[in-house]
Amino acid sequence: MNKKIVIKYLIMFIISISIIVFVYNDYFLYDKSILHIDKIEESYVVDETTKEKYITQNITGTIKNGEYKGKKAKLINYTTTSGVFDEQIHKNSELFIDINGNLDNITNLNEVKRDKYLALLLVLFIDLIIIVAKKKSFKLLLSLFINIIVSYLSIIYFSKHTNTNMLLLYMIVSIIFITSSLFIANGKSKKTLAAILSSIASLFISFFLVYLVIKLYKHPISYWTLDYIEAVHDYKNFFYVTVLLSGLGAIMDISITIASSLSELIEKDPKIKLKALRKSGEEICKDIIGTMSNVMLYTCFTSIIPMTFLIIKNGITLGNAIVRYGEIELIVVLTSCISIVLAIPISLFISLKVLRGNKK
Amino acid sequence: MILILSIIFFILLILIGKYRGFKTFIIFYSNLLLILLYIISMSFGFNAIINAIIICILASMLTLFGLNGVNVKTKASFKSIMIILIIMFLLTFIICRNANIQGFSTESIESIGGYSFDLNYNMTDLFIGMYLVCVIGTIIDTSISISSALNEVYLNNKDLNKKELYESGMNIGKDILNTTINTLFFALVTTFIGFMMWHSKANIGYIINYKSFAQEIIKLLLCFISSTLIIPITSYIAAIDLLKKNN
Repeated sequence: MNKKIVIKYLIMFIISISIIVFVYNDYFLYDKSILHIDKIEESYVVDETTKEKYITQNITGTIKNGEYKGKKAKLINYTTTSGVFDEQIHKNSELFIDINGNLDNITNLNEVKRDKYLALLLVLFIDLIIIVAKKKSFKLLLSLFINIIVSYLSIIYFSKHTNTNMLLLYMIVSIIFITSSLFIANGKSKKTLAAILSSIASLFISFFLVYLVIKLYKHPISYWTLDYIEAVHDYKNFFYVTVLLSGLGAIMDISITIASSLSELIEKDPKIKLKALRKSGEEICKDIIGTMSNVMLYTCFTSIIPMTFLIIKNGITLGNAIVRYGEIELIVVLTSCISIVLAIPISLFISLKVLRGNKK
Repeated sequence: MILILSIIFFILLILIGKYRGFKTFIIFYSNLLLILLYIISMSFGFNAIINAIIICILASMLTLFGLNGVNVKTKASFKSIMIILIIMFLLTFIICRNANIQGFSTESIESIGGYSFDLNYNMTDLFIGMYLVCVIGTIIDTSISISSALNEVYLNNKDLNKKELYESGMNIGKDILNTTINTLFFALVTTFIGFMMWHSKANIGYIINYKSFAQEIIKLLLCFISSTLIIPITSYIAAIDLLKKNN
């Protein structure tokens, strides 16, 4: 390893450590008082029928910011072994509290200070990306950053103009997502153009197919089980937005894979037959579908686990629990899988048109 | 609804993938059954973490060997998945234990209010297990892509040594990483859109310490981290295994 690389990694390491140290000590950024837990005394009662432990935690801690900085405070916290809706406080955790004058008896526990763990993971992720992707890491992080900014702006826009059609808004936003991500990753070329066009086409064709199915098949969907759906007045459109966006990344994956492999084949042999091109494009993608559909399944569908577990434990059968809380997630997963499969012929068709022009 | 969508999925798979499409369909539904099995076995009181690790091993065997057959590529992928599972387990364990992200936050009080919370089951374990099962899909995807591509590279050029093979594995990984991160980002982004709309008036300090926000961010970051970390691990193991097999 040469000197330059060592210095680069050393700088990265120092920056990472200082960010983490900063977030671990960022008490002054918060208006709310933060309590650092020094000591916990526990006592518990066991419920005879449920065997659940009811724990009472007598907590002593030091306040870290604001006018009471440095003072000791006491707090009683009631918790259980399950911790479904309560917090079991650990030593050295930090809590946000409301102080109403009496430091010996604080009743209002707000939230645990979690920002440091998020910062830790975020720094770890960025460092790993830089180590693994080296020069490409900048593009990668830039496109991720732009996607986050665009989603944030779209939310701001929507919360200011609540009358806008949410579905229409996110259709436009998804075109921005596709164009920016593919453009940043692959630069200006025919290949990128082909990938962008085929992503947009696949996205809308598969979306309208599913839209049509849902409209024609008048089955009542339990929209309310989707997370945060109550936040949106237009809940049906929020569901459609979920359906639209979930498969977007996967569709882009398929179209860029097809576009780049086809352009490579055409470059190597400009006289290659159309049929051969189509066949090798299909071959490449058959390998992708299998694992990709599993990615969608595992990443999206696992979010039902806590909810279904809770209601199964409350005596509801698995079948009913899935129908109640799993249906909507499963619809989202299946839709993305359908769009992944549909993206293959559509991308093949459009990429061939764009890359080969009018040649026969 | 689900039946209709499944039928469409099935027909499309058969049309485009033929026999392989059929296999994909079977494996997709077996994986779905695995997740359901996971929930059932937890409700019988089995430990969530051990359960999750078993499910992860079964899922990777099913997807790797079922979809791609038993060979050098899949064996190398399987080994690297086992290694990364251990690393991710340690990471998830540390984060979940300290960050108090188990259970539900106040938004869901309406939907869970009617149920008893006395489950006599450790929710922290449940969340650790859930995160492990969540990341396994993307780990398998990235790992098999790298080991098959590396196998192709080796078949076309048998003079490569271990270091060169590792380097080309890393190069392939870089290209995959971009699309993988996009896929994961969009698969999970709508939850954030919903969250932000719910809390549109809250300030940032409140949001980043909020439980359900932390749950989702941690999920996303764990997916990102595992799909990045699997690249060097698979490249290294696949490089060794490919050379070992041919010597």
